[in-house]
Amino acid sequence: MKKGLLVCMALCLMFLLAGCSSDNNAATEATAAPVETEAPEETEAPAEETEAAEDAADGDAVLNIFTWEGYIDYETVIKPFEEETGIKVNYATFASNEEMYEKLSAVNGGDYDIILASDYILNTTREAGLMQKFDPEIVTNYGNLNEDFTHQFFDPDNEYVIPYVSGIPLIVYDPSVVDIEIKGFNDLWDSSLADSLGLIDDARVTIGMVLLSMGQSMNTTDEAVLAEAAEKLEELRPNIHVLEYENLHNYLVSGDVSVAYTFTPFVALALDANPDLQVVWPQEGLGFGIDGCFIPVNAPHAKNANLFLEYLLRPEVAAVCAEWQYYCSPNEAAQDVLADWYKENPVFSGIYERIDDAEYVLNLSSEDEQKFQDIWTKFKLGF
Amino acid sequence: MTHKSAAKRGEARRSALFVAPMACIAVLLVALPLIYVLGTSLVQSGQSFSLGAAFTLDNYRSLLRADYLKVFLNSLQLALLTTVISLLVGYPFGYCMARAGRRYKALLMLLVIIPFWTSALVRIYGWKILLQANGPINGVLRALGLIDKNIKFLGSYGSVLLAMVYCLISFMILPCHSAVDKMDFTMVEAARDLGARPWRAFLTVTLPLTMPGILAGCVLVFVPSVGLFYLSDIMGGGLMLVGNLIRDQLLKVRDWNTGSAMSMVLIVLTAGIYLIYRRSGGDDLGVF
Repeated sequence: MKKGLLVCMALCLMFLLAGCSSDNNAATEATAAPVETEAPEETEAPAEETEAAEDAADGDAVLNIFTWEGYIDYETVIKPFEEETGIKVNYATFASNEEMYEKLSAVNGGDYDIILASDYILNTTREAGLMQKFDPEIVTNYGNLNEDFTHQFFDPDNEYVIPYVSGIPLIVYDPSVVDIEIKGFNDLWDSSLADSLGLIDDARVTIGMVLLSMGQSMNTTDEAVLAEAAEKLEELRPNIHVLEYENLHNYLVSGDVSVAYTFTPFVALALDANPDLQVVWPQEGLGFGIDGCFIPVNAPHAKNANLFLEYLLRPEVAAVCAEWQYYCSPNEAAQDVLADWYKENPVFSGIYERIDDAEYVLNLSSEDEQKFQDIWTKFKLGF
Repeated sequence: MTHKSAAKRGEARRSALFVAPMACIAVLLVALPLIYVLGTSLVQSGQSFSLGAAFTLDNYRSLLRADYLKVFLNSLQLALLTTVISLLVGYPFGYCMARAGRRYKALLMLLVIIPFWTSALVRIYGWKILLQANGPINGVLRALGLIDKNIKFLGSYGSVLLAMVYCLISFMILPCHSAVDKMDFTMVEAARDLGARPWRAFLTVTLPLTMPGILAGCVLVFVPSVGLFYLSDIMGGGLMLVGNLIRDQLLKVRDWNTGSAMSMVLIVLTAGIYLIYRRSGGDDLGVF
């Protein structure tokens, strides 16, 4: 009996830990990160990378993509590319932009051919000299992009980055249970919304939202302004029911919250589940983000990478990517090919009208980032 | 005499042979990474741990802040509540399981073990569906006329506690069951024969005799629950726990040195709990 118990308990522990790791990828990655990324020579290369390196030695019909899991669809995007060009695509994944940056620096801008990541880290990567320019001879269709999305801070001269998708966090609410009309961030403080808000569990995004409501920049590091924002955030506490980074739409659909401020795909998913929900483009200003592709400076298959960028910029491919990602498409030419359901969705189409009010969440120095984290830690301790 | 010691040596060599692979795994996968974390926590912010790096205790000093202390207390409080509730539910369960007939015993054991064959994540999402405002639990309560308005269970402290207890209670049930199972029940009968009422017999005989199981269960539940933070995040609790703090330090602030120092404090804390348990006469938890 004792032995049976032993086995049982060991099994239980295993499954619990398995649950733990399968769930919070970001978190476990984080704890493993210092070992894995700061000292790459001490650790074994992940399987995908070794495989990629081997293929590179075999020949040139290979493309090594490095991005988040599930960010480029295999069936509708990668597979047709493979069939068209005969290039075999390897897909390696990272959990966070920071992890990508550490790994890319560790291999000195080599190993990978295409990297897809977020705006602020694109800027860091370019400034660190880890990007190479794409080849305009091959990427002839850069002009397909809407000009509102080019000449961005991460690529001022349109030489390095191909914007892939873009998003703006929005307010979405259920008018059947909300008594007021919500037009902007400041309405969230209304006392009729007690215990009914779902906000994003992220210091920069949510404190940034408070800053926008005060008419300030989301990237301010002015201590007096931040202190004022912390106070204003505190006043919002009675209205907050849930803080969660992802999947806030579930709470809205299930009736646990009546108002949510969340990222583009979740706003769209909420609307899919309940078309009566109301989407708000906050009048005070907007947060904004672009994810884009680039070629690392020492990419082993730069030519294939250029071919892939050209492929991604094609209207029909860009349309498929946007529809599949549930994000807004920066591709002007794709607007004609996008499905009707996508074009009719206010979440995706509204971006072009309001892009001038949109502001990036920029990368700050560790010290400044700490200021935001401190406010957030203190705020969350009150729950 | 000589051949005896030779045999002993052979035995020792054989057992060393068996231990070697385990030792290698332990050193490679546990000791080395931990040494690296320790090293990273001892060098200046922004530096990686390597030979010749400047050592400092600043990362630990920067942890001496009232809000960080409160985060640790927050985690300890949640862990303590989880342990107490697990004990109050798990001990009676383990007791009944040990005292049940053979057939029921196997059934109860299955009920404890089978949920672990699915990922904890999936089961917790199951709870989320049950608990949501327009979910089945609210539906039943409404149908029974007990409530007019849906109760928002999700996001509450109670929902986090429920998820914690749900995930960890087996670690309480199994040692308690084992302790009751091993206990000699003639002692209780003797106490009853000598006039002790059932409660008194339980308090003076059963409880002390099963105390090792209770203590082992408490350690097994308490230690993991100090570090578990993803359950609070999934249930929408928005609590600030040690795990959140370390994650934010690593991923958001990108200060791995301070993050490592926090991890070390957490490790020392949990190791301390285990040491106290061993000092107070606890056995090897019956697991390893």
